[in-house]
Amino acid sequence: MQNVSVRGPEVPRNIEALDPVFTVSDLSVFYGAYEAVRGVDLTIGNREITAMIGPSGCGKSTVLRCFNRMNDLIPGARPAGKIFFHDEDLYGDHVDPIEVRRRIGMVFQKPNPFPKSIYDNIAYGPKVNGMKGKMDSIVEEALIKAALWDEVKDKLKQNALSLSGGQQQRLCIARAIAVKPEVILMDEPCSALDPIATTKIEDLMQELARDYTIVIVTHNMQQAARVSDRTAFFTAEVDDAGERHGRLVEFDETSRIFTNPSDKRTEDYITGRFG
Amino acid sequence: MAAQDQATAPGTSRSLARSRPRYGESVIKVVLMAAAMISVATTIGIVAALLEPTIEFFSEISFGEFFGSTTWGPLFNPAHFGVWPIIVATLEITLIAVVVAVPLGLAAAIYLSEYATPRVRKIFKPVLEVLAGVPTVVFGFFALAFVTPLLRDWFPFLDLEAKNALAAGLLVGVMIVPIVASLSEDSMAAVPNGLREGSYALGASKMLTSVRVVVPAAFSGIVAAVILAISRAIGETMIVAIAGGFKAVFTFNPTNEMSTMAAFIAQAGSGDASVGSIAYKTIFAVGSLLFIMTFVMNWFSARLVQKYREVYD
Ligand SMILES: Nc1ncnc2c1ncn2[C@@H]1O[C@H](COP(=O)(O)OP(=O)(O)O)[C@@H](O)[C@H]1O
Ligand SMILES: [Mg+2]
Repeated sequence: MQNVSVRGPEVPRNIEALDPVFTVSDLSVFYGAYEAVRGVDLTIGNREITAMIGPSGCGKSTVLRCFNRMNDLIPGARPAGKIFFHDEDLYGDHVDPIEVRRRIGMVFQKPNPFPKSIYDNIAYGPKVNGMKGKMDSIVEEALIKAALWDEVKDKLKQNALSLSGGQQQRLCIARAIAVKPEVILMDEPCSALDPIATTKIEDLMQELARDYTIVIVTHNMQQAARVSDRTAFFTAEVDDAGERHGRLVEFDETSRIFTNPSDKRTEDYITGRFG
Repeated sequence: MAAQDQATAPGTSRSLARSRPRYGESVIKVVLMAAAMISVATTIGIVAALLEPTIEFFSEISFGEFFGSTTWGPLFNPAHFGVWPIIVATLEITLIAVVVAVPLGLAAAIYLSEYATPRVRKIFKPVLEVLAGVPTVVFGFFALAFVTPLLRDWFPFLDLEAKNALAAGLLVGVMIVPIVASLSEDSMAAVPNGLREGSYALGASKMLTSVRVVVPAAFSGIVAAVILAISRAIGETMIVAIAGGFKAVFTFNPTNEMSTMAAFIAQAGSGDASVGSIAYKTIFAVGSLLFIMTFVMNWFSARLVQKYREVYD
């Protein structure tokens, strides 16, 4: 795996000095009585791209959806352990999940634009958040940042569902950007897209990492290798009672994970020898 | 697998033609088509039955008198045929009903679809559907014996007549709430969850998500629900006959007794209008008008839905 292309020096940033946005300690997540994820310790660095990889069902989405408290919406879902957003307890009593989601945006696996016009899709977030400023320029800025402006500037009133899948996903990214979040969470944002659309989104992520902290779940190892600064490798372990729990196996700089992992399971997974 | 491969391998004589005729298929097709034809034929039959006496009616009473005057009393002597009082009463009671039923029904639908736990929903939905099945004579009596006296107590300045459009309209509204609520809930429940998640992820509250994302996405279903409810309200007979009365006065004041088109048909139809008399033909003329009004509204709403619906895949 020496020849896997790791995010190149064209975006020079010192990733050694980790300035934490999220600090996760001993996080477990339950769905009812089932402990889907157990004992995760993780730190997400400011303006870095952190990738979460691992086989399906190992709890990547579950962990990701704790970062913006999206799991609150699932009856029975309950985290244990601690997640700090900067120095605030994300699950503290005083925390308003709605405010959390405004500051921490999310892009989903299946592009989910609202069945409204392109313009209204972008304007929705700023409107519900009561943001000040001229809406036209908020919309334009978000679409420019999401590298979609040139393709849609002449058809802002058209229904968003008339766009291609890749454009829809960039629209969803623009929609997330429009509320000026600090973090963007992405759950397999390219898994429903073709390779060309995927490349566009990956380029966009690199671009966005200048201003935003990005956490991306992907089942595509090459993608993690290409875009991320750090990689967290998860897997599912079966305990004595025969229950599967997601565990974080290894978390390190992406270059190390892909060239010199310290855990045998990581190595097996990235070399494709995973069972 | 192997045996099958052999059977279809090239060189074997087995043909791709159907091995035995499938009569069942054609029988079912004929039965289904007959069922479809019966409902179409019934509709055509109703139109035809309405048409002939209606034409006869208009050969005796001019369009000008029917639509151009405001005194209604086909059963009186001298008879009057100005249809506006009963049109106004019909529309007014329908309007009151809609004003009651749309907010209430939509609120109930939003609650059931977006807020209620699955357990609550499982209890509530059937209750709602039972409510839709309550005989309307019950609502009518309730309006007359309970709601009107109550309204008179609470709002004496209204000067309500014993029979009045207000109480009738309110109860027609209650009657159609379950239709609005149940059908709207169906179409809101069909909105993909991804849209809700997309909204929450932008920092929208549950209320905003419901009102700005779910309701617009379910719009065509909601309009269909409201239209069906309005059709029921326009045609509702028992409640308006009992609580609204039969006195056809040209007024917009809902505290008065009013006769709707359906109430007139019930009144005239249950009286002694002999076949061929002008009173008898009037029933059909009013019936035709009611039919056309419902038809136009359905057509109009279909256009509306086409124009404003939000399509999601
Ligand atoms: N809403 C839910 N209710 C119950 N169990 C769930 C739910 N979502 C996920 N799980 C379970 O949690 C585990 C981790 O799922 P998930 O986080 O989606 O994995 P991944 O994203 O890595 O594929 C799986 O065993 C899955 O079945
Ligand atoms: Mg997942």
